[in-house]
Amino acid sequence: MHLPRFRHLSAASFDEAVRLLNEYPAAGLMAGGTDLLPRMKYRLTSPEVIISLRTLSADSPSVTPEGDLVLDPMMTLTAVNRSDMVRERAPLLSEAAQRVASREIRNMATLGGNLCQETRCLYYNQRHSYQFVEPCYKRGGEICYFIPKGKKCRAVFMADTAPPLISLGAQIKIIGQEVRQIPLEDLYTSEAEKPLAMASGEVISQILIPNGPGNRGAAFSKSSLRGGLEFATLSVAAVLDMEDDGGTCSRARITIGAVSAAPLRVRKAESALTGKRLSKELFSQVADQAAVEIRPIPHHGHTRAYLTECLRAGTRHALCSAAEGIDFPGFPRSRE
Amino acid sequence: MKKRPGKQLLELTVNDEFYELAVEPQETLLEVLRNHLGLTGTKEGCGTGECGTCTVLMGDEPILSCLTLAMDCRQKEIRTIEGLDRENGLTVVQDAFLQQGAVQCGFCTPGMILATTALLEKNPNPSQEEIKKGLEGHLCRCTGYNKIFEAVEQAAARKSRHGDSGSV
Ligand SMILES: Cc1cc2nc3c(=O)[nH]c(=O)nc-3n(C[C@H](O)[C@H](O)[C@H](O)COP(=O)(O)OP(=O)(O)OC[C@H]3O[C@@H](n4cnc5c(N)ncnc54)[C@H](O)[C@@H]3O)c2cc1C
Ligand code: FES
Ligand code: FES
Repeated sequence: MHLPRFRHLSAASFDEAVRLLNEYPAAGLMAGGTDLLPRMKYRLTSPEVIISLRTLSADSPSVTPEGDLVLDPMMTLTAVNRSDMVRERAPLLSEAAQRVASREIRNMATLGGNLCQETRCLYYNQRHSYQFVEPCYKRGGEICYFIPKGKKCRAVFMADTAPPLISLGAQIKIIGQEVRQIPLEDLYTSEAEKPLAMASGEVISQILIPNGPGNRGAAFSKSSLRGGLEFATLSVAAVLDMEDDGGTCSRARITIGAVSAAPLRVRKAESALTGKRLSKELFSQVADQAAVEIRPIPHHGHTRAYLTECLRAGTRHALCSAAEGIDFPGFPRSRE
Repeated sequence: MKKRPGKQLLELTVNDEFYELAVEPQETLLEVLRNHLGLTGTKEGCGTGECGTCTVLMGDEPILSCLTLAMDCRQKEIRTIEGLDRENGLTVVQDAFLQQGAVQCGFCTPGMILATTALLEKNPNPSQEEIKKGLEGHLCRCTGYNKIFEAVEQAAARKSRHGDSGSV
């Protein structure tokens, strides 16, 4: 399959990328290319200029004096998974990176590209030249094939690394006309046709994960049709911060992926954990609450009823796995 | 009239040979290997990242040549199936694939062999799970995979018997 014609420019730094994006407003920014190039091959987008960051080498992860972990968005997902610093401070991110696509793709795909992945749907993400149905909203038409009564595009955001980073309270640094830092959660607009709250000349230059408390449990759970080379049917990232007594939860963050145009926090379910002693019964109640709180958008052939059950099971699973990592006596371990 | 973007100069090393070529900016590494260099051992299956048959090694890591722009390979070292280090004509991995009947139509084989080679270079003694994870990006429509996993196990066993001296 051939790519459409374009002009290729390499950026040697994020600053140069911003400068080139201003010079060529019709340009597309490319990091690993594993999300952008398939869309170009399908002719879903055909930028006249590609500004490639692919030859930019990523800085290694570092820790600030405050204990925050700093990640370069150009890190490949393989590098994210292999980094000892990430494994130690953000094990659920390391796990999520390892669950993306395949080994070959993880060697190319970047963390920044994953966070900026385009929303996806079974109808949209294919070649349309041989199709004879009306284009959908995202292709400029007036219909959504999955929610036909809906008034807008309902494609979902499926990147695996976003839910863990949101549950870890990550911030991103964006450079463009000005430099700004926002919570990663605020990057997502919930609008499938424009899922990212970034202007066209802006680039993510840094990802910051704030230092966590000493006693913390965290886990990532992804359900998919196949074990490998498969986007998530649904994903859950749970982080449980604990009081000094070890058994009481001081703050919980649970983020659900692939249910909407943005990764979604389940805030009521989170607050049902705050101040409580952890138990399997509590986790079941919290999972039930999460399944009421979100109405998953049916996608890739999965019905809403099925996705709701995935949400309940995935939340319970993520919470139980997160609790396994917490140092306190009395919580029933799965191996008992 | 719209101006067509012109060719650009690309310098890269493929299988230890240095090349200087003029390529179109939209050409992929896969197209350059097959169409400019005549290295047709690398196959195009899907063209969009879903099958792994276009796998080549960049440095010692497997990547997909169908999703790599040729212009992003400047000054890089690429290894294709044609460039594997050979011992009596076949490498240990290739030989194991033949012996185990892990090749039927052969279309997925170059990608499978390169991915296995890279896997065993990093992890000479992989478990079944690690083999499956290492090859998760590779589809085979013919063999049903079991024979491929057996071939990888045989190659690993033979390599550990011969020590690290033999090529993978
Ligand atoms: C077969 C296949 C399977 C896949 N499976 C999965 C999966 O299981 N889970 C998953 O999450 N993804 C999956 N993906 C999608 C993709 O591989 C990942 O999202 C990948 O991390 C994208 O990163 P990239 O660097 O290749 O992005 P690119 O394609 O280079 O870029 C993607 C988008 O991000 C923008 N961008 C990149 N970097 C920056 C930056 N620093 N600042 C601002 N914008 C930026 C680009 O402009 C572009 O619009 C799969 C892809 C394929 C082809
Ligand atoms: S041809 Fe490259 S992955 Fe299928
Ligand atoms: S042998 Fe035919 S695809 Fe694998």
